[in-house]
Amino acid sequence: MKAVQLGFEALGAAALALFDEAGGMALLAWRVLVGLFKLELDWRELMRNLYKMGVQSLPIVILTAFFTGGIMVIQSGIFIRRFGAYGLLGFGAGYATLREVGPILIGLMFSGRVGANNAAELGTMTVTEQLDGLRALSIDPIPFLIVPRVVGMMIALFCLTVLGDVVAISGGALFGKLLLNVELSSFLHSFADNLKPWDLSIGLVKAVVFGLAISITSCHFGTSVKGGAVGVGRAVNNAVVAAAVAIMISDNLITMVLR
Amino acid sequence: MIALSVDVLEKTFAGAIRWLLRGRRGASITRGEVLRQLYQIGNRSLLFVCVTLGFLGMVLVFQTCLQVNRITGDLSQVGAEFIKILVHEFGPSLTAMMLATRVGAGIAAEIGSMVVTEQIDALRMNGVDPVDYLIVPRFLASLVMTGALTTIGVGAAILMGALTAYYSFHLNPVVFLDPSHVRLGDLATGVMKCAAYGAAVPIVAGICGLAARGGSEGVGTATTRAVISASFVVILLDFFLSGFALFTFQRGGL
Repeated sequence: MKAVQLGFEALGAAALALFDEAGGMALLAWRVLVGLFKLELDWRELMRNLYKMGVQSLPIVILTAFFTGGIMVIQSGIFIRRFGAYGLLGFGAGYATLREVGPILIGLMFSGRVGANNAAELGTMTVTEQLDGLRALSIDPIPFLIVPRVVGMMIALFCLTVLGDVVAISGGALFGKLLLNVELSSFLHSFADNLKPWDLSIGLVKAVVFGLAISITSCHFGTSVKGGAVGVGRAVNNAVVAAAVAIMISDNLITMVLR
Repeated sequence: MIALSVDVLEKTFAGAIRWLLRGRRGASITRGEVLRQLYQIGNRSLLFVCVTLGFLGMVLVFQTCLQVNRITGDLSQVGAEFIKILVHEFGPSLTAMMLATRVGAGIAAEIGSMVVTEQIDALRMNGVDPVDYLIVPRFLASLVMTGALTTIGVGAAILMGALTAYYSFHLNPVVFLDPSHVRLGDLATGVMKCAAYGAAVPIVAGICGLAARGGSEGVGTATTRAVISASFVVILLDFFLSGFALFTFQRGGL
């Protein structure tokens, strides 16, 4: 009896914690949306965030995209060599990269770099009571701190995914020549002939939604930190985990709805 | 940073081998600590890995079926090929990406907090080496648990993939669940990747945690750096191991 009771207690506590966090995020998203409609955001803070989130993430995104292109060529190459259909390499690697693997891997890297950084920054501000300081000066932290970050992450991830797609396809073409000896022109022809603009747009829609998911999770966990340096570490950890789950779930929904 | 990395790498492998050879007499690493880390890294990540890999399985099958429908319309091979690519590529790599975020961030946050609250200095004062005491148990636990979690994650992905194929494309699960395309080389590639990722994530995260400086801001920076470095190392290893497999197992027809 005791064990059953304990089991139910643990289940209930876990469910309550889950709904607590989900509700906090929904509330935050709603307030950000309202702030966006009223155009209540600090433009200088937005520019600063765009530079920090977008420009400074360039090296890691380019490296990731380059190797992602290589991985996708190797994986498609395994099929293509079996069937001897070398003309389909650009199509296979491009389809997977543009629609699925590119946005997901770039999104995960972005979540690791920018989302975690953002949670750590907001968490540090929370534990050092800087948010309370802002409120004491009657500055609402939502338009001043949160809205610029959300908008900044959505724009930055969109731009980085466009750039990452270009790098990944170029990397794929290069590795196709080096590893499988497929000519660049045949790779690019098979890429351009078989893929539609829709395949690219669906990946870019994903990028914007991932940007929203990453920003909301990291801002929520960053601003609800409790207890010193240990709390900041835990908040960063929770933020990246929640962002990864959110990326996977929204990826599914977008794919099923938009096809 | 480089000196620290070399130091941690060397001591981790030496410590792990010493512990495996000599068992409990291996200095400051206790069996209890390894078991605790097995629980922390393995059991506590189970739900996370199952959820993310399950959704990955759904979306991969959906995309593949959509594409195959557009070209040939014969969906009978989708399941077999899906299981094959899951075993040698997406299963290990995506599980490791997820563990790099969850476990990597957790290790760096924990060790980083210990550094800034001077607990590491206290360990050194007591003559305990922080690498032996903190990183080696996590290394051993991660090595074991990455393999276990990948296996379970692949199972979750295959299950969700089969359900997606059945409900969205009316593909019979008996046709879908066909492991006949998985060769020995695919299994070997998957196991090799699991071992490499399992070894890399705790070492990279541990180095980032030990390099933490300053107060709560330093812990945040260390955690961020751990997530990004561990994820990138996974992608890099994936690239090289996939290339290796392409030229050995695949070419040899295994």
